[in-house]
Amino acid sequence: MSIMSYNGGAIVAMKGKNCVAIAADKRFGIQAQTLALDFQKIFEMGPHLFIGLPGLATDTQTVHQRLKFRLNLYELKENRHINPKTFAAMVSNLLYERRFGPYFIEPIIAGLDPKTFEPYVCNMDLIGCPNEPEDFVVGGTCTEQLYGMCETLWEPDLEPDDLFETISQALISAVDRDAISGWGAVVHIIEKDKITTKSLKTRMD
Amino acid sequence: MATERYSFSLTTFSPSGKLVQIEYALAAVAAGAPSVGIKASNGVVLATENKHKSILYEEHSVHKVEMVTNHIGMIYSGMGPDYRLLVKRARKMAQQYYLVYEEPIPTAQLVQRVAMVMQEYTQSGGVRPFGVSLLICGWDEGRPYLYQCDPSGAYFAWKATAMGKNFVNGKTFLEKRYSEDLELDDAVHTAILTLKEGFEGQMTADNIEVGICDAQGFRRLDPSNVKDYLANIP
Amino acid sequence: MSLNGLADCRTYEGTKIPSFVPYADNGGSVIAIAGDDFALLASDTRLSSGFSIYTREQRKLFRLSDTTVLGCSGCWCDTLTLARILEARMQMYLHEHQKPMSTPAVAQMLSTMLYYKRFFPYYVSNVLAGLDEEGKGCVYCYDPVGHCQKVAFNAKGSAGALLQPLLDNQIGYENMDNVTSEPIHIEKAMALLKDAFISAAERDIYTGDSIFINIITKDGIQEEKFTLRRD
Repeated sequence: MSIMSYNGGAIVAMKGKNCVAIAADKRFGIQAQTLALDFQKIFEMGPHLFIGLPGLATDTQTVHQRLKFRLNLYELKENRHINPKTFAAMVSNLLYERRFGPYFIEPIIAGLDPKTFEPYVCNMDLIGCPNEPEDFVVGGTCTEQLYGMCETLWEPDLEPDDLFETISQALISAVDRDAISGWGAVVHIIEKDKITTKSLKTRMD
Repeated sequence: MATERYSFSLTTFSPSGKLVQIEYALAAVAAGAPSVGIKASNGVVLATENKHKSILYEEHSVHKVEMVTNHIGMIYSGMGPDYRLLVKRARKMAQQYYLVYEEPIPTAQLVQRVAMVMQEYTQSGGVRPFGVSLLICGWDEGRPYLYQCDPSGAYFAWKATAMGKNFVNGKTFLEKRYSEDLELDDAVHTAILTLKEGFEGQMTADNIEVGICDAQGFRRLDPSNVKDYLANIP
Repeated sequence: MSLNGLADCRTYEGTKIPSFVPYADNGGSVIAIAGDDFALLASDTRLSSGFSIYTREQRKLFRLSDTTVLGCSGCWCDTLTLARILEARMQMYLHEHQKPMSTPAVAQMLSTMLYYKRFFPYYVSNVLAGLDEEGKGCVYCYDPVGHCQKVAFNAKGSAGALLQPLLDNQIGYENMDNVTSEPIHIEKAMALLKDAFISAAERDIYTGDSIFINIITKDGIQEEKFTLRRD
């Protein structure tokens, strides 16, 4: 079995009208055995910036710590908040430094530009090849299911409430067809002057 | 290297608490060719004297105005060879920044990093401080920037300033002529006028160099272009 | 694996011996939905291998009787063989019993036939749809070795993973409060079927070109064609 699906997990991010959403499940397990139902895979990296790190759980935490380190230095040095695009370049750089012994995570970035508040989503492979689509990005052990859901449910210019509904339905339906994802979920809706974080109840089997 | 272990810094404190090596470096700058920088509302101008000792010299071959990256350029007063090393380092730092962040380096960041290099040369073993002061100009996020960087590693943000030979007179002149809402064309004019203060001999397009930076980026003016500006100088 | 099914296998001494790989994956997706008095079965028409497309118009639905249709995806040669034997067995049933096989009977026989080859299976994902003896829509889905399950809707094949959660959501109303699950209407089922295939064709390279939909009602089987993206 691939090391990428050793712990399981699913993350999805979507663009809306002047907002973005990012959601993840909460499971932490070792192969088929579930060990925790409150594992954090999405991290707040700034006032309008989130990163999701699906993949090997130990790398999720290590990469988060190393990114936080680099980001803190950046913000101190430059005395400003980072642009999501610049942050993506930073993540990509960090991952490519381990080109031949990679961190087993496939990051998903969601945020708003600190000046223009333009929505931004991005995902990468485990060595930092970025992809910046106009609609949504998915990652984790049930990407196929998530792609199927997002491709039908997503539409352009969703308002925050509709975006929340869409991303929640997409995530829940997808993880229900994956044995190593689920066990609760969390959704962040990022707007210009508000961040809403909601926990979702899901089936626990 | 084994020798490095004993190569103590040459820059050491005098009993009165001064670093005379740095003061000597500043003296080298003050004896160097004058240079001027002025920030305008829509850009920045850098100008410097580039006099040649012999008429045999090929003008417009070795430049004093150099581009660091698209939107940043610099000039100097002091020692040419030291300057070229700093230009090389600055260009490399700009590209390194772009490689990591896929975003052009902010001028303030470049200045900070160049200043860091200059400071290192005041404390490292086996080296001497740089014999140059730099004027670095840039344009980011819709506004101009002008910085001066000294051999000590100190840096300053200016609206307008002069360095090198006669810099005190140059600054006094600028204090009288400067206004906040200067246009770039007027700023080039003023910069050339400032150089003209205390210029020995005839000023031509062959013995001064001008660089400008605005929303389009940084560029060195052609001699023909400089000539046009000189035509308007009394 | 090489294209002609012959691959080189390296032994520990480093000598090469050719090995035979009897299976191919030719892609394709199938969706089936059962309603109260109808059943829908749809499949795409792309037949491919690796990065190349064999044909853009290969139907993967087999009309077994007036009330039963089989949808297949996977190894195309196994599909053909399986369908042929299945049809023959149904013919034998007809002669023996003087009546056509009912859908549940075909379903059970298919399971037996698949399990018969438990240790050299047909590499096929099957979905069987039709009407039972009472005229109700029914769908049976299988794994390659004969596990059989009667369901209300199912998606199989290369885009099965993309499509199944969508059906769970839109037909099964999974994880939804304040909705009463009512029998699906044929218009909604048709619309959903098309939407689902459009989405699958966006992301799955083995699904595309067009789809054939078989609408099974007491009046017989109607067929409809619908175009998908061809890239």
